[in-house]
Amino acid sequence: MRGLVVCCGLWAASLAAQTYDLVLAGGHVIDPANGINQVMDVAVTGNRIARVAENLPRNQAKQVVDVAGLYVTPGLIDLHAHVFGYSGSLLPDDTQLVAGTTTVVDCGGSGWRTFDDFRARIIDKSQTRVLAWLNIVGRGMLGTQVENNTEDMDPKATAEKIGKHRDLIMGIKTAHYSRPGWTALDRAVEAGRLADVPVIVDNNILTGMERTTREKLLDRLRPGDLATHSYNDRQNELLDRHSGKVQEYARQARTRGVLFDMGHGAGSFLWPVATQAMRQGFPPDTISTDLHSSSIMVGEPDMPNCISKVVNLGMTLQDAVARSTVSPAKAIKRYPELGTLGVGKTADIGVFTMRQGVFAFKDAWAKKMLGRQKLECLLTVRNGRIVFDQEGLSRPDWKTEVKR
Amino acid sequence: MTRRRLLAGLPLIPAMTPAILAQTPAIYDLLLKNGDVLDPKNNRRGRMDIAVVGDKIVRVAPNLPAAHAKLVLEVGDYYVTPGLIDIHTHFDALGDGVNVQPDHNALTNGVTTAVTTGSKAARGSRTRLLQWGEGMPAMKEGTAEGLGPGDILTGMYGPKAPPLEALRQRGVLLDTGSFWFRVAAPAIQKGFLPDTISTDIQKDTILLPRANMMTTLSKFLNLGMTLEQLVERTTVNPAKAIKRPELGHLTEGGVADIAVIELRKGKFGFVDAGLARLAGDRKLRCVLTLRAGRVVWDAEGLSMTEWTHAGPYSNFK
Repeated sequence: MRGLVVCCGLWAASLAAQTYDLVLAGGHVIDPANGINQVMDVAVTGNRIARVAENLPRNQAKQVVDVAGLYVTPGLIDLHAHVFGYSGSLLPDDTQLVAGTTTVVDCGGSGWRTFDDFRARIIDKSQTRVLAWLNIVGRGMLGTQVENNTEDMDPKATAEKIGKHRDLIMGIKTAHYSRPGWTALDRAVEAGRLADVPVIVDNNILTGMERTTREKLLDRLRPGDLATHSYNDRQNELLDRHSGKVQEYARQARTRGVLFDMGHGAGSFLWPVATQAMRQGFPPDTISTDLHSSSIMVGEPDMPNCISKVVNLGMTLQDAVARSTVSPAKAIKRYPELGTLGVGKTADIGVFTMRQGVFAFKDAWAKKMLGRQKLECLLTVRNGRIVFDQEGLSRPDWKTEVKR
Repeated sequence: MTRRRLLAGLPLIPAMTPAILAQTPAIYDLLLKNGDVLDPKNNRRGRMDIAVVGDKIVRVAPNLPAAHAKLVLEVGDYYVTPGLIDIHTHFDALGDGVNVQPDHNALTNGVTTAVTTGSKAARGSRTRLLQWGEGMPAMKEGTAEGLGPGDILTGMYGPKAPPLEALRQRGVLLDTGSFWFRVAAPAIQKGFLPDTISTDIQKDTILLPRANMMTTLSKFLNLGMTLEQLVERTTVNPAKAIKRPELGHLTEGGVADIAVIELRKGKFGFVDAGLARLAGDRKLRCVLTLRAGRVVWDAEGLSMTEWTHAGPYSNFK
């Protein structure tokens, strides 16, 4: 009994000196928002980032996790994923948190009629921070017939729904409209104007559709709107078919503030387009996955894999992390609340290893490119808690642990 | 086809014949070449090729002619096993309740058959999902009350497992499910092994302790079990336990459910259901999965063309 008292006394004394709940120690921190790209410690108290600095005293933390040799980044933000509505949608926790992605924006699975259901079934039940692009179609992403129905594209009802849920709805998605003309896009932009939010567009430009990419990018989209599926040339016709050059209208659109989102998916990241565009200095503004039940089994476009692909095409890791954290946070107008390791911000953190070797990276059409580096998530902190720890970096050895 | 049209087509054939004879006709749809095969049911172990036609395995033998196959997958760096069977899962297509969605958790781990408690199990998934019920044994966790010969106690290495020796003597099968290193390690040391290895994969186990099949098998590998023992307990043994003898082996004429597995060496860590850590030096990873003859998972692109050799790309199909 006496031993127990002494023991508790020591414990209390040491606790008093402990300023931080968790310190991720000795990792290479990449926090582009704060210009950090070096070995540092990241301290967490409660659900907030408490400090990012070199050589924090280890006795000031309740728990120290040694992450030397690993990369530490703000939790990644995937602004194009499918977690509701669409028949191929995937639950976010076991597909995104395991990849260091702490925020996902569902891309149009719900519309104003179905958002409440989305919230109850997925948003409120996930550990991942789940946000939404609201489909301009009231019933959401339910296939061609529903998504072609202009009767159910109501800018006013859509904007009203956004007004009630500004914490969760980032903007408007229009997709898969396969009738001629601009009705779907124009209604989405109208809703965006009413609610003062951006629009993200997935819109095929096909013969007979009475639409052109030039008009979409230069005349219809506003600065801050996003054209997704950048490296699928049917969507944005990024490359001139004959010369292979990045189209002048794409560069002009970028200059006027239209954002080009990766949206990898099962049809929208093709090596010939990506390679050419990257070589000509046209990287995606935001890296995103379009992760769904088909794409996850072929191109495996989770965020670390998408980052690996552009890094193997020549982008620096720091730049790729910027386009997966601060850039998407800005695109959804949630910066500096998200996408940074700034002191006082929510502690959403990813810890990664960069494996060296020969790896196959597969594009959306199941063609491979061999690369030498592959980023892999080992540990994820969401809202201050370690929710994923592949290697048990934060856990005591089973032989020495004394209690559970 | 009418006789007239058939005859009309004939004159072309003599001209084509030499070309046809010059080539070897493809008689296999797919050939897994030179893998280290583990097929405990058939007592096969060693370098062998596996030929597939349609959804069936047609030949398992060394040195099958590659020229006879439409698609040859060089798997010399890997182990080749029957598609794995996970008898303790919580899968359903929508991931309702405690369940998670099957394909990206099962097929990517070489699991082609899973027994699930999920109700909306099969809709749209490629994993073979079986449900408990008629014709199946009973499975319980934490208590063996009412279990008879052929029934299954899961969680055998959990903190609340009943005494195991007596159960084994009376014919109850012992399955892993969720487990603790501090219970499993001494038992395995003594040679008291599970009858079947399963994951208990569900929302509460998928992130921590990472209850997918490759991670689970890697844990037992680093606790001292052999690869042969692991494969036996995830193929032939579970097939027998759930009374599906047609599954869990690489028999000619059987369904082509096959896993191709890499053994990585290095420094790794693993977490158990009590969140304690095990340091290890080996880790298994599934690189390719065939389900009913189809490549449904191909992590290293073994079946894929390198893009610079893929011919012209066009988005306009």
